[in-house]
Amino acid sequence: MRSCKKIKTLPTGYALYFHIGETEKKCFIEEIPDETMVIGKYRTQLWDKQTGSFLPATPGLGMHVEIKDPDTKIILSRQYGSDGRFTFTSHTPGEHQICLHSNSTKMALFAGGKLRVHLDIQVGEHTNNYPEIAAKDKLTELQLRARQLLDQVEQIQKEQNYQRYREERFRMTSESTNQRVLWWSIAQTLILIVTGIWQMKHLKSFFEAKKLV
Amino acid sequence: MGSIFDLSAAVRLYLLSCFVVSVDFTLGLGQSQDTEFTFLLPAGRTECFYQTSTKNGSLEVEYQVIAGAGLDVGFTLISPSGYKLASEFRTSDGIHTVEPTEDGDYRLCFDNSFSKLSEKMVFFEVIVEGQPGDAWGDEEWADMAEPESMVEYKLEDIRETMDSVHRHLDRSRQLQTMLRAFEARDRYLLEDNLWRVSFWSSMSLLVILTVAVTQVYTLRRLFDDKRVCKP
Repeated sequence: MRSCKKIKTLPTGYALYFHIGETEKKCFIEEIPDETMVIGKYRTQLWDKQTGSFLPATPGLGMHVEIKDPDTKIILSRQYGSDGRFTFTSHTPGEHQICLHSNSTKMALFAGGKLRVHLDIQVGEHTNNYPEIAAKDKLTELQLRARQLLDQVEQIQKEQNYQRYREERFRMTSESTNQRVLWWSIAQTLILIVTGIWQMKHLKSFFEAKKLV
Repeated sequence: MGSIFDLSAAVRLYLLSCFVVSVDFTLGLGQSQDTEFTFLLPAGRTECFYQTSTKNGSLEVEYQVIAGAGLDVGFTLISPSGYKLASEFRTSDGIHTVEPTEDGDYRLCFDNSFSKLSEKMVFFEVIVEGQPGDAWGDEEWADMAEPESMVEYKLEDIRETMDSVHRHLDRSRQLQTMLRAFEARDRYLLEDNLWRVSFWSSMSLLVILTVAVTQVYTLRRLFDDKRVCKP
């Protein structure tokens, strides 16, 4: 019997990190199908000259997050603190661009211009919060795991539908290129023949006029 | 008539727990963390990413240049102790595995300094195994949810769900086959295109040469005829 239920969240493993300069902008591209949720989490650390290591960043040192959709329209443009979490759901399939840059100008003074950013971007079914779903729908363990499998498969299907749409576009481009190549080649041949005939006629009349022939 | 429902409750519970354990094994007890990014690498710059790993794990890095003139980039992988594990100059894709890993931060660098003008779009994926707490164990799953009750209909539920998953996966496989056929067709179309371009270009060239020769010959004939005709 469990009297108190521990809601455990997935402990974060070691995410990838990179260094960012003061006015530097780093952009990441996510190619996703439509109606897909994306959650990005980041954590910043500041270089401390005294201890010679990276310490958790002071508040006031934030990151500006800008997200553009495939039509280069900005769907999110917000300032977050030193640790932030941003979410968006795609409404059109395609390449979404996530750009991060630091808003601080004082960094050069404190940190020697180096800020370490740990970034983790989760897409699709990885964004689902299973403890929350279990509590809301009152699911047992097997039901919850089955739900996870179903979410995974749903994401695969979405991805494939998107692939099909992309392939169609590729096919159209390819066919139009094919048409263009064919018509231009025929046109070029005709132009050449016509030019040749015209040249000969012109020269013939020229020589006749000059009484050379 | 012996059927599964004739068995005692204890035996049924045992069978169910066996099923749970086997499902757990198939879902994968291996704890691995998978990070992938697609980023823009400006011309003339080098970008580095760092991945922390533990001792005796494994690290796999795969990268591919998706866009940008030449589709190539330089890649280096440096271990926490400063030892250069991989160094590639101007390649379009690569895959490297480090096993066993040291404790510390591995450094991956993408180098586009040889290019003055073109920006590259690079996709890379880092798979780390042996990280603590990546996957949920049995206890965490059990903690999250309500306790199991009523074993009888559970097997039926499980069978139904598994069937649904199986059908979806079948459909996925069918779609994939269809897509593969389309892709092959497009590839043949492009290859035909190439042949057509070559053929018609040669024809054009032939026509040009023929026309040029005919012109010259006609001109000369005009002169020759008149000379013959004039007394």
